[in-house]
Amino acid sequence: MNPYKETVDWLDRRIGIRALLHQQLTGYLLPRNINIWYTMGAVLMAMFGLQFLTGILLLVYYVPDTEKAFASVTMIMNEVPYGWLIRYLHVVGSNLIIVFLLLHMLSVLYMGSYKRPRELTWVSGFILFNLGLVFCLTGYLLPWSQLSFWATTVATDAAGAIPIVGDFLIEFLRGGPSVGEATLGRFFALHVMGLPMAFLALVGFHLFCVRRIGISAPPFGEEYQPKLTYGFGHEEHPNGVPFHPHYTVKDLAVVFFALALLVAITFYAPWLFIPLDALTPADPFTTPEHIKPEWYFLWAYQTLKIFPSEFLGLAAQGAAMGFLAMLPFIDRGPERRPVKRPIFISLYLLGILLFVGLSMWGHYS
Amino acid sequence: MDDATPKERRTFLTVILGGVGAVVAAVAGWPLFRYLSPIDKGSAEDLVRVARQEVAVGGAHFFSYQGRPAVLLQPSAGEFLALSAVCTHLGCIVKWVDDKQEFLCPCHGGRFSPAGQVLGGPPPTALESYPVSLDGEDILVG
Amino acid sequence: MMRLKMMRRVSAVILACLLFLPLWVQAEETVCLQCHAGLEERLSAPVGQWRGSIHAQNGISCHDCHGGDPTDFEMAMSPERGFIGVPEYIEVPEFCGRCHLGVKEDYLASAHGKALELWGPQCVVCHGNHAVEKATIDLINPDSCSRCHEYERAAQVKQIISATEATLVELEASVADLHRVGFDMQRLREDLFSQRNSFRRLFHTVAPERIKKQTAEFDAGLATTREQIEDYEDSVEKRKIAGGAVVVLLLLGGCVALLIKRTFHDEEG
Repeated sequence: MNPYKETVDWLDRRIGIRALLHQQLTGYLLPRNINIWYTMGAVLMAMFGLQFLTGILLLVYYVPDTEKAFASVTMIMNEVPYGWLIRYLHVVGSNLIIVFLLLHMLSVLYMGSYKRPRELTWVSGFILFNLGLVFCLTGYLLPWSQLSFWATTVATDAAGAIPIVGDFLIEFLRGGPSVGEATLGRFFALHVMGLPMAFLALVGFHLFCVRRIGISAPPFGEEYQPKLTYGFGHEEHPNGVPFHPHYTVKDLAVVFFALALLVAITFYAPWLFIPLDALTPADPFTTPEHIKPEWYFLWAYQTLKIFPSEFLGLAAQGAAMGFLAMLPFIDRGPERRPVKRPIFISLYLLGILLFVGLSMWGHYS
Repeated sequence: MDDATPKERRTFLTVILGGVGAVVAAVAGWPLFRYLSPIDKGSAEDLVRVARQEVAVGGAHFFSYQGRPAVLLQPSAGEFLALSAVCTHLGCIVKWVDDKQEFLCPCHGGRFSPAGQVLGGPPPTALESYPVSLDGEDILVG
Repeated sequence: MMRLKMMRRVSAVILACLLFLPLWVQAEETVCLQCHAGLEERLSAPVGQWRGSIHAQNGISCHDCHGGDPTDFEMAMSPERGFIGVPEYIEVPEFCGRCHLGVKEDYLASAHGKALELWGPQCVVCHGNHAVEKATIDLINPDSCSRCHEYERAAQVKQIISATEATLVELEASVADLHRVGFDMQRLREDLFSQRNSFRRLFHTVAPERIKKQTAEFDAGLATTREQIEDYEDSVEKRKIAGGAVVVLLLLGGCVALLIKRTFHDEEG
C-alpha cells in the first residue's frame, strides 16, 4: 500500500486529478530556449505571497488610529518577539517587489511579448504594476511617522494640479482638507482589504491569459519567425520541455535566490528603505526638511519639479503611463526580435536612461 | 559523480532540496510561533492593588486579576475575600446578588456562596479563591 | 510612421526636460532672516553664522533668543512684541541661561562666574555666539584658555573629565546607531541626555577637586547605561548571525535546485 498513490487515486476518481496535472504541469510544454526572465512571474508570486503573510501578521498588533499607530509599530519593533523581523520583511519585500515588477516589465518589453495576441496580458500586468505602487503608497502612511504623514501630504497634494476638480480631488483622497484620521482610515481599508482583493482577481486574470494564450517563445535564435495571428490559437511548443519538473525547478531556484536577497537586506541593511524621518511620530505642524518620496516615485517627483506648471508635469506623467499601458495597441507590427526593432530598442534604452536620470536628479536635488 | 546516472543524481539532490526546504520551514516557523504567542508581561502584575474604599461591607467589587475577571468581597467589616468571577460551569461571569448575599451565574443559574462554594445549579466545583492581604488603605490580591 | 510619431513624442518630452530649469521652492523664512541677509556685513554676518549652528539644527531661530515678532516686518524689532536685541557683556549669562538653566547656575557659582563683573569670561567667550556649535571637550584648549590665564588648571580639568566625556560621546553614538536600526531608544536617550547635562553642569564649576570627586559617580551611572546598550548590541549581532545562516541556507537551496535542473539537461545529452 502506497499512501501517496492511494490519495492520488482517490482524488483521480473524484476530480480527475491525473489528467489535470498532466494537462497543466507535465504535459504543458514550454519553449526550449526559455530564459531566466521568464521566472520573474514566479518570483513575484512568491514575494507577494510573503507580503500577504507578513501583512496579516502585522495586522495582529497594528492599530489604525492616529494616536496609536506609531506606538503600535514601535511595539511591534521592540516588544513583540520577532516583530522587527516580520515588519522588516514586509518593508524590504515591498521594495523588492517593485524591483522585480520593473524587471518583469522590462524583459517583456525587450522581447516584445506584449504584442498581439497578448495585449490583455500586458494591460492586466500594467494595472498590477500600478496596484503595486498604490499598495506602497497606502502602506507608507500606516506607521503614522513624519515620513508617512508628509509623503502622503505631498503625494495627495499633486492631485490639486488637475484643473477644475483638483481641489475636490485632494479632499476626496484625504477624506478631509488635510491628511488626518480620515486619511488613515481610507488608506488602511484600501491597503489591507481593497487592494488585496483587486490584486488577487487581477493576478487570476493575468495568469489565465498567460496559460490560455500560451507562453511566448523568446524571439531569439535562427528558428524564430515572427507570426501574424488572426483567430484565437493557443501557442503550442511541440518539441518543448515540460513545465513540471523541468521549469518549476528553475522557478524554484530563482525564488530561493530572491528570498536570499530579501533576507540579506532584511538582516543587514533594512535602513536602506527606512529614512530617518520614518523613526519620528507624525507631527502635522512641523514639516521635516528634505522630504523625498521613495526611490520608485522619484522620477514622478522630479518630473513635477522640472515642468513649468504642476499640471503639465502631471500631464506628462499621465501621457507616459498611458502610452505604456496602450503600447500593444500602438506598436502593432508582428516583429519581436530586438535586432530588427532598432527604433523601439533605442526608445527602450532612452526610456530606461530617462527613468534612472530623473530618479538620480530627484535624489540629489 | 561520474558513475551516477542523472536520474540517481536527481533523486539524491531532491532529497537534499527537501531537507533544505524542511529546515527553512522550521527556521521560519519558530519566529511565527513566537510572534503569535502571548507576550509575557513579567511578574509585576502578579499583585493587584485595590483601594479599600472600593469594596463596601456586604458589597462586591469586580476587577481584573492576571487578565481574568475576579471579585473582592467584604462580608463583615475588615474581612476581605478575593475570588475568581468565572463560573466553573461554562465560563460565564457570575453576578453578585446583594439581597441574597450570594453569586448567581446568569447563564445556567449556578449559585455560589460568598466563600465560593457551590450552592446549587450545574457548576461542578467551587470558585477559585485568591490570597488577600492589607497594605494601609489598599487591599493586595495575589 | 507609428514609430516615427512615437519617437517625436518622446524626444519632445526629453527636450522639455532639458529646457525647463527646475523651479526651486524656497522654504518660508522668518522676516529676521529675510531682512538681515541683505544688510551690510556687520548685520548680515549672523545669518550665515547661525545657519551652520547647532541652534539652527535644533530649530532655535533669532527670535527665540532676541525676542521680537518673526512674522511682521514692521513690528519685528518692537519692544512691544518682546524684542530684546543685543545683551550687554554682563547680561549674557542670563540671556543664554533662560534655556541653559543648570549650566548657568553652576557657572555663576564658579570662579569664572564670580569674575563676571571684572570682565571675567561668560558663555560666548568660549562658545561663540551665532555660530555656536555642539559643545565638545575641545573647547578647552591652550589657545582659548590662555587668553586669560595659564592653561595648567584648565588642562587639569580637561584631564579629569576627558574619559567620562569620551564615554558620553561614544554611548550617544551607540544609541543613535541602535535607533537607526529600529530600536526604541527613547528611555536610554533621555537617560543619557540628563546624565550629560548634569555632567556638563558640573565642569562649568571649574573646580578640579569637586569635579574629580563627582566624576566617579557619573562613571558608575554610565557603566549601567553601557550595559543596557551592550545588551541591545548583542542582540543585533545575534540577529546578523542568524540572518547570515538563513541566507546561506536559501542560497544552498537555490544551488541544489539548479543542479537538479542540470540533470534534465544531462539526460537529454
